[in-house]
Amino acid sequence: MSTRLSMTSILRRSLLHRKARSMSALIAMTISAAVATALLTLYADLDAKLHHEFRSFGANVVITPGESERSLKPGILERVQTSAGPDAVAAEFAYAVATTDRGTPVVVAGTDFAAVRRLNSWWQVDSWPTPTDATAALLGQRAADFIADEHTVQLTFAGRPLTLHGTGRLRTGGDEDSRIYMPLAAFSAWTGAQPSVIELQVPGGAAQVETTISRLRQELPGLKVEPVRQLVEGENRIVDKTHALMYGAVLLIALTVAVSVLATLSASVLERRRDFALMKALGGSQLQMMALFLLEAFLLAFAGVGIGFLVGSAASLAISQLNFHTATMPRLSVLPLVFTLNLLIAALAALLPLRVLRGLQPAALLKGE
Amino acid sequence: MFFRLLMESFRRQRRRKILAGIAILLGTTAVTAMLALATTIGDRIQDELAVYGANIVVYPAADQLEVKVGGVDVKPDSGGASLKASDLKKLRGIFWANNITGVSPELPVHILGTTGSGKPVDTTGTGLWFRHSLTNGSGTALVTGAPSLHPLWKLNGSWPEEAATTATGADVVAGSTLASAKGIHLGDTIEVQPSSGPSRTPIKLRVSGIVTAGDATDEQILLPLNAAQVLAGTPDAVRRVEVSARTKPEDAFARKDPNSLSAKQKEIWYCRPYANSIAYQIREAIPGARAEQVRRVEQSEGNVLKRISGLMWLISGAAMLAAAFAVSAAMATAVLERQGEIGLMRSLGASKGSIAMLFYTEAGLLALLAGVIGYVAGSGIAAWMGARIFGTGSSLSMTDVLNPVLLPVVVALALAVVFAGSTPAIRRALTMEPSAILRADV
Repeated sequence: MSTRLSMTSILRRSLLHRKARSMSALIAMTISAAVATALLTLYADLDAKLHHEFRSFGANVVITPGESERSLKPGILERVQTSAGPDAVAAEFAYAVATTDRGTPVVVAGTDFAAVRRLNSWWQVDSWPTPTDATAALLGQRAADFIADEHTVQLTFAGRPLTLHGTGRLRTGGDEDSRIYMPLAAFSAWTGAQPSVIELQVPGGAAQVETTISRLRQELPGLKVEPVRQLVEGENRIVDKTHALMYGAVLLIALTVAVSVLATLSASVLERRRDFALMKALGGSQLQMMALFLLEAFLLAFAGVGIGFLVGSAASLAISQLNFHTATMPRLSVLPLVFTLNLLIAALAALLPLRVLRGLQPAALLKGE
Repeated sequence: MFFRLLMESFRRQRRRKILAGIAILLGTTAVTAMLALATTIGDRIQDELAVYGANIVVYPAADQLEVKVGGVDVKPDSGGASLKASDLKKLRGIFWANNITGVSPELPVHILGTTGSGKPVDTTGTGLWFRHSLTNGSGTALVTGAPSLHPLWKLNGSWPEEAATTATGADVVAGSTLASAKGIHLGDTIEVQPSSGPSRTPIKLRVSGIVTAGDATDEQILLPLNAAQVLAGTPDAVRRVEVSARTKPEDAFARKDPNSLSAKQKEIWYCRPYANSIAYQIREAIPGARAEQVRRVEQSEGNVLKRISGLMWLISGAAMLAAAFAVSAAMATAVLERQGEIGLMRSLGASKGSIAMLFYTEAGLLALLAGVIGYVAGSGIAAWMGARIFGTGSSLSMTDVLNPVLLPVVVALALAVVFAGSTPAIRRALTMEPSAILRADV
């Protein structure tokens, strides 16, 4: 034999000669890479996505004046907003008890409608007042029952009358149902009362909320800054449990897919007993055989990771778009892990059958099974 | 002959069969586990969401306007409309009765008394159920009360027993802020004058526990509902009822006004566990009541629930797809490597149909066997994970672990995937000339 077969030409032929087998091995590697990529990408983004969903519960921090004072000083809202960061949503409320035209006492609240709308997404409102409308009012559905005319709401506070026009009813199923909401500036001009509560929504988990609270306490001494315990704790519990569940699911799926891919690949290596026997009979060493199988598997793994990463990223993007309506961008940071996982599968798939192959006698094998 | 071929194939090619079987087994395990988790996740998350409190409130329709700021009643009303506590058992008879997981009636009372050390106490008390057995005579009773609707309440001591209430005394729980301000300890007695009613004899309230709630409740005294009714002199009265119900997240149909729907549509609306439908049924059941969904809880819970279970379903779908591909690849390999066998059978005169039949039967048997084992394994894993994460492991019965609906689904999926996966390979092998296959050293 004058021309020795080079390793690369054996490899190339082995991959190209039996396209169907190479294809099914490549598909298997692609699947394991795609599944790992998709799940890891989703998993990495999960907490942020879940915390985002919990924003719909509204404020998780309540700021009230200290013991001695009745209302918050002007300008506090801006300082709270600066301190809590641009992602936090804050709204201030001022309360007074006024009398309706029917003589029923009712709680009237002054607030900034734009901020409330962002903060309390669960409020069901017929139509939100325009920000420039100083006499607009939202009537709680129970309060509305005690008002003669919803379009011209006549209220009296300490002998001072005020006429508002209701833009719609407000339905919450909570205390808000018995209140009338109006713009803060007009409210303060009418009653002289200043805001007494700031409701603040801090994005993120319990740790972030705690950090923000301690920063607020430090920067705004004299104020009572309290978390809404049930929201913060409940959110944490659910996010933690979902996280654990996802972790379990990721492990389970990645593991089962990895093992079933391993089984497929091993089968296709085992199938090549004859090649193995022939090469051995022609003088190939054990090491060369091993190198050949490994190299072939690694090549497939490489290609599998390349395609699988794209497919998996697309899948995670689609899942989070479908479910959370926000995209999850492909993460290159999951690539090393996916790559390691796939190389491991490939190596195992190539090496496990070798134990079986080693014990075979080439002559016996070539003669027949 | 056919059966002998089949038997021999399983007997002689054990390793090949095991490898293909493992692929199917693991695929069905993962899919079963994910499906089992996805089908139960809704209830589990809903149980966790119970910390947010009731999602439906019931109050008298003829009620006065509440004048409440920051949870404190600015103008505590005297009297006012009330509901009948004895009507609450009707909640057990509504269409979605089994979805109601908690019922907590409230009756506020003004408590004016003195502690054992002589300090005056002037605060609000709330009459509540603590461990009340609610039943309408048929079916099982629902044991419920305020503590189950407020899982975050931390109690030092024990909840009062309703049965311990007499005309002259009752067990109560004091809020932590009130307790520290007035120096009230476990086992202390507060002597209270009833504000009205026939008996003017003082009532002794024994403090059986101190509760920390983190809100206005900390400044109150919580007492059994029957004691509050005696104190207020209003037997059978309830001011407000909190109801916690398992609901289906609201969609466009849920927001429809039932009275504007056609009779058939209305029935569909009525028979879906929307918060609105349950509130509607409560209004029907309890005379003079108004029931509203607590939107902050209900809407946000629905949101969270939808997202989490949606995520689980999508991931299950992805897992199913991946498992299907993996199993298909395994099956294709399993057939491809037996081309020689196919060629031999063809040249010995076997028809294409009977060869295909043999391979499909083999694959089907494998799928059945591995599918059933995978189903059991997957159900086990799902139950184990659920118990580990959600801590509901104590009362797991066989029926909870093995969801019978999943078995046919999973096995059918396994069969479909296995057949779909082997078809191209079988077809390819059958279209090749037997002589060509046999000549090629496969």
